[in-house]
Amino acid sequence: MKPFRPTPVLIGLLIGGTALAAGWTQYPKTTPETSFDPKLPAFGTQLEVLPDGVGKETADKACLSCHSTDLLRQQRLTEAQWAASVNKMVGWGAEVPEEKKDELVKYLAFHFGAGNDRFQPVVTRPLGR
Amino acid sequence: MGDPRDLRPGLTRRAFFGMATGLAAFPGIAAAVVEDISPTKRRMFQVNGYGTCAETPLDALTTYLTPNDLFFVRQHWVSQAPDLKTWALVVDGEVGAPLKLSLSELNAMPQTTVTCVLQCAGNGRGFMKPVVPGVQWKFGSVGNARWTGVRVKDVLLKAGLKGTGRHLHTFGTDSPPGKVPPFIRSLEIEKVLEDGVIALKMNGEALSAPHGAPARLVVPGWAGDHWMKWLQRLSPQPDPQRGFYMDVGYRFPNKPGDPGVTFKPDEMHPVTELFVKSNISDAPKSAKVGQAVTLRGFAFSGAPDIRKVEVSADGGATWKNAVLDPEHDPYAWRLWSFPWKPVAPGKVTVWARATDSRGSVQPKEAVWNQSGYLYNAWHSAEIEVTA
Repeated sequence: MKPFRPTPVLIGLLIGGTALAAGWTQYPKTTPETSFDPKLPAFGTQLEVLPDGVGKETADKACLSCHSTDLLRQQRLTEAQWAASVNKMVGWGAEVPEEKKDELVKYLAFHFGAGNDRFQPVVTRPLGR
Repeated sequence: MGDPRDLRPGLTRRAFFGMATGLAAFPGIAAAVVEDISPTKRRMFQVNGYGTCAETPLDALTTYLTPNDLFFVRQHWVSQAPDLKTWALVVDGEVGAPLKLSLSELNAMPQTTVTCVLQCAGNGRGFMKPVVPGVQWKFGSVGNARWTGVRVKDVLLKAGLKGTGRHLHTFGTDSPPGKVPPFIRSLEIEKVLEDGVIALKMNGEALSAPHGAPARLVVPGWAGDHWMKWLQRLSPQPDPQRGFYMDVGYRFPNKPGDPGVTFKPDEMHPVTELFVKSNISDAPKSAKVGQAVTLRGFAFSGAPDIRKVEVSADGGATWKNAVLDPEHDPYAWRLWSFPWKPVAPGKVTVWARATDSRGSVQPKEAVWNQSGYLYNAWHSAEIEVTA
């Protein structure tokens, strides 16, 4: 299996802005900056892209409209489990052209299959900080 | 080191700080943030950047009350909090006088406070073997908080609850994308009448948006799927609610099989009460023979209290009782500590298990289920002991 080296990107700034608009800053402002490491990213603002490969384009369109890449990158599913998940999501409105479905399942199973032990959660500031 | 007061080193300063800042009603909150959890541990683990899901690192779950900004969040999809100016709680269904209660009307009703654990049904899913899909929660989609608001009972009686209202259908304002079914739940009326709360505050502060502002349901002892966020409607009905998140999701096998054996929805029932569980949240990486170190952790259950927490350093052959912290409320967690004196060098695995007030004992292995709910296997820490 080829190594997976995610590239940090800052498309999360958009998400962060949405979160702010939704009232995420309600936490009291009394907590001093010294109560956490200010070098940490704010929650939701540093996301990682999906690995390159055949199927990435489909995954970007079908999956990332509802989930950040974190959710995909932490899975460790067999091809059969990925096929079931993809079918469930297609039933719920995920846009996967029929001719692309097999390609998508193979892409997900290759990168986020049973042996996927690379995922580490993004360490962020406390919520709302 | 066995003094249970060790669990709350900042108690005196904390109480003083709370009074000094006008937080006498909840003297622990502000200081719990500033003093009791070191800045290096005050962080979150993001497991889904939108459809927001984040868990608390285990080493930050060391206080009786979990600070709000470190309290886990879990959302099914990208949610918008309701507009507080127009928001109202609707009560309809099997009631004599349907209600529409504004936030100020709810705030004007008698308020109650309960302190209890909120745990995501899927906490620990990431440890299930065989692996199951979903958010791969480890330890930290759990926390303990004081929830303040209006008793569900008071609201339902105000609306004239009828005897035919057997199941409380609950609805939030979040709406799913595409053809995703809405997140709806229902629960038996007896449970909500007993101790259900419409929470408006969390640890003395107004609920934040990710935690369900302006109101969420609190169901002490039950898994988080019942704690409806952004609550907008309560509707007692004769029968349970129907829909994906009742009929298919959040179900647990009636008679679990071997790991990997799956069941049809009608062979399962809704997840309700939490399973008895303890975690070690603070243990040294190393220790010296003959010198005591202190292990600390927390324990909780779907039963109202924890009877004991035990620690084993020999793989479960023998167990010794930990010291339970006296601070407690029904369905809250118990902090515990255990002074351990290593007797020989080498890598030692120490295990913790809890027994609840009904006698249920935390099992060595969790019950595998296809959705990865209610994981509660013994928890361990490895300590390198040197001479």
